[in-house]
Amino acid sequence: MSEDHQLRSDGGTAPATGEDATSANGTEKATSRVPGLGGDEGRIIGLTALAVLLFPFLFAEAPVISDIIQGYAGLTTLILIWGIFAMGYDLLHGFTGLLSFGHAAFWGAGGIAAGLLVEYAGMNLPLVLVVVGTVVGVLLAWLIGFLSLRRGGIYFAILTLAFGQMIYFTIFGPLGPITGGEDGLLLTIGDLFGVIPLNAGVPVLTPLGFIPSWLYLIVGIFVVISVAVAYRVLNSPYGLIFKAIRENEQRAEFVGLNVWRYKLMAFILSGAFAGFAGALHTIYNGAASASAFYWIVSGDVVIMSILGGVGTLFGAFLGAGVYLYMSNILETFVGTLWHVMLGLLFVIVVWLFPGGIWGGIRALRDLLTDLIGGGGSEPEAATDGGEPGARAPADAGSDGGENR
Amino acid sequence: MSLVADLISILLNGLQQGAIYILLAVGLSIILGTLEFVNFAHGALYIIGAYVGLYVAQGLVVSEGYLAEAGFSDLGLGMGFIVGMIVVALVVFVLGLLFERFIARAFYDRPDTDQILVTFGLAIIVQEILRVSLGSTSQPVNQPTWASGSVPIPGVAISEWRIYIILITALLVGIVYALVEYTDFGLVVRAGTMDDEMVRLLGIKLSRPYIIVFGIGAALAGVAGLVAGPLSPINPTAGTDILVPAFVTVVIGGVGSIRGAVAAGTILGITQAALIQTQIGTYNLAPWSQVGIYAIAAIILLVRPEGLLGEEVDTA
Repeated sequence: MSEDHQLRSDGGTAPATGEDATSANGTEKATSRVPGLGGDEGRIIGLTALAVLLFPFLFAEAPVISDIIQGYAGLTTLILIWGIFAMGYDLLHGFTGLLSFGHAAFWGAGGIAAGLLVEYAGMNLPLVLVVVGTVVGVLLAWLIGFLSLRRGGIYFAILTLAFGQMIYFTIFGPLGPITGGEDGLLLTIGDLFGVIPLNAGVPVLTPLGFIPSWLYLIVGIFVVISVAVAYRVLNSPYGLIFKAIRENEQRAEFVGLNVWRYKLMAFILSGAFAGFAGALHTIYNGAASASAFYWIVSGDVVIMSILGGVGTLFGAFLGAGVYLYMSNILETFVGTLWHVMLGLLFVIVVWLFPGGIWGGIRALRDLLTDLIGGGGSEPEAATDGGEPGARAPADAGSDGGENR
Repeated sequence: MSLVADLISILLNGLQQGAIYILLAVGLSIILGTLEFVNFAHGALYIIGAYVGLYVAQGLVVSEGYLAEAGFSDLGLGMGFIVGMIVVALVVFVLGLLFERFIARAFYDRPDTDQILVTFGLAIIVQEILRVSLGSTSQPVNQPTWASGSVPIPGVAISEWRIYIILITALLVGIVYALVEYTDFGLVVRAGTMDDEMVRLLGIKLSRPYIIVFGIGAALAGVAGLVAGPLSPINPTAGTDILVPAFVTVVIGGVGSIRGAVAAGTILGITQAALIQTQIGTYNLAPWSQVGIYAIAAIILLVRPEGLLGEEVDTA
C-alpha cells in the first residue's frame, strides 16, 4: 500500500528531477533528451543497425583493413554478444554509479539455464532459450541486488563479489552432477524457428561478405533491440533518475526519491541484459559450464565496459571488441602475453583516460569540430545517450564532454 | 571417541583454514580501515609471497613459460621455511611500501571504485606475468621436514604443519594487534583513522605511519602465501581464488577491526572444515563447503550489516 504510493509519487516527480539534474550540469539540451522525440532515437537505431551490418565486412572481409587486423568472421558474433553484456553492465556502473563484481552470476545463470533446458527438457529453440536466460537473469539479479544493496560503495562491490562466488560454488559443487561441473554441458542447439540452421549463411548477404551467418543476423537484431531499449530507458524520466543517483545520491534522496528502489531496478535491468547475453553465448558456443560464473568473468565485463568508456553505452561494444581481439587474435602472435598487455592497457585507461575509447573518439571529434569551426557537434552530442567521462562523484563538477 | 576425534579435527582444520583467511583479512582490514584504500591486489601480494617464499625455502619447478624457454628448469635456494618466511615478510613489506608510495597514494583522492579498478588491473598483471614466466601448473611444495609428522592425538589425522600455521598466525596477528593497540605508532594510526585532519593539525605527519601500515598488511599477505603453500596449490590464479574469502572475512568481521577479522576468519574456517567432514547418511557435504562460508557471511550481514565488530555503517 505505502509502496504503491511511493511508486506513484516517484513517477510524478521524476520529469522535474531529471531536468533539474541535467540542467545542474549546465546542459541546455535537457528538453531534447526527454523521450517521445522520435528523431534521435530513430537515428540511433538506424546507425546501430548500419554498424551491425557493416562490422563483419570491415572486420573480416574488407580488402585492406581486414588484412591488417587479421579479423575473422566467427569472432564478430562473439564480440556482439559480449557487447550486449557489457552494455547492460554500463547501465548499472556507468549510469547509476554502482560497481558490481557479481555480474558473472547473471551471465552464467542465463547460460546454464539455457543449457539445462536443452540438456534435460529437450527444448532447443534458440529464441525460447534467450527468453529463459533473460528471465533467470532478472530473478537472480533481484535476489542478489536485494541483498547487496544493503550497503553502498565498496561494500556493494564486495557483497556482489561474494554472492556471485556463492552461486559459482553452488553451480560448481553441489549442483555439479547436474550442470556438468568443470566440463560443463555439451549441447546441440536447434534450428531457428525449427527450420533454419544457425550456422548457415544468409542468402545474398553472406556471399557479399556482410552477414556471416543466421546466428550473426539474430544476434545483430538483438543488439539493435538492446540498444533501443537501453537508450529508451536512459532517456526516460526513470533513466534520468539513475543519472541523478550517480551524480548525487543524497540530493536524489532529499528530492523524495526512493533511491534504493531505483538502484535495485538498475541492477535488475543490467542483470536482464547479462542473462540474455549469457543465453546467447550458450547458443553460440553450443556449450554451457560453471566456469562462466567465476568472478574473473565479472572482472572481464568490467574491463570491457571501462576500456570502451564508462557511461557511454556504445563504448561497451568497442571495449568488448578490444578485449576479444586481444584474447583471440593478438593471442596467436604473442601467446599468453596478451593478458599482461590487456592488464597494462586497463590500468592505463583507469589511471589516465577515464573516458575510455569512446571518450577518446569523442574528444578527438570535438577537437576536430573546434578546429574546423565548431557548431556542428551539438546535435550529434545529443545522440550519444549519456554523459561521457562519467566517473561517479569525482567528476560531477567537470562532467560533460558535451560542454567541452 | 570418534566423535571427539572428529570434533578435534574439525576444530584444528578449521582454525588452520581460518588462519590463512585471518592473515589476509587483517592486512586488508587495517589498510581499509586506516587508509580507506580498497586493495583488490591483496591476492597478488599473497601469490608473490608464495612464489618468493617457495624460491627461498625450497625451489621452483619451471617446466613452461619464458624462464623454461630461456633454459632454466629448477630455481631455488633451498634455505628452509624459517628463512623463507623471514625473507618473504621483508620482501613483500618493501613491495607494500612501494605499492603505497607509487600507486595507492595516487588514488586516495579518487573515488573508491577507481581504487578497486586499478588494483584489480594490477592483480591481473601480476598473475599473468607469473603465468608467462613460470607457467600455469601448480608448484609442488613439501611440508618442512620438522613439521611433517602428524598430530599426536589418536584418531586425528592432521599434519603438524597445520598446527604451526595456527601458531604462526597467532604470533603475527598478536604482534600487529599489540603494535596497533599499545604503541605510540598505533596511537597515531588509530587517531588518524578517527580524524586525520585533527591529527595533522596537531603537527603529526601521517604519511609515514600510513605507509608502514600498508607494508605490514602486505607482509602478512605474503607470509600467508608461503605458509599455505604446502596445503593449497601455488599457481598464478591462487591469488584471485583467495581474494574473495579474504574480503568476506573483512566485511563480516567489521572493517578496521583486527579482533573482528580474527573472529570472522575463525567462523569461516570452522564452517568450511565442518562441512568438509560432515556426512548426512551417504550424502557428503564437502561440495557445500565453499557455499557454506558465503551463506554464513550472508546471514551475519543480514543481521549485522556493519559486521561482527564493526562500528559504523557507511551507507553512502
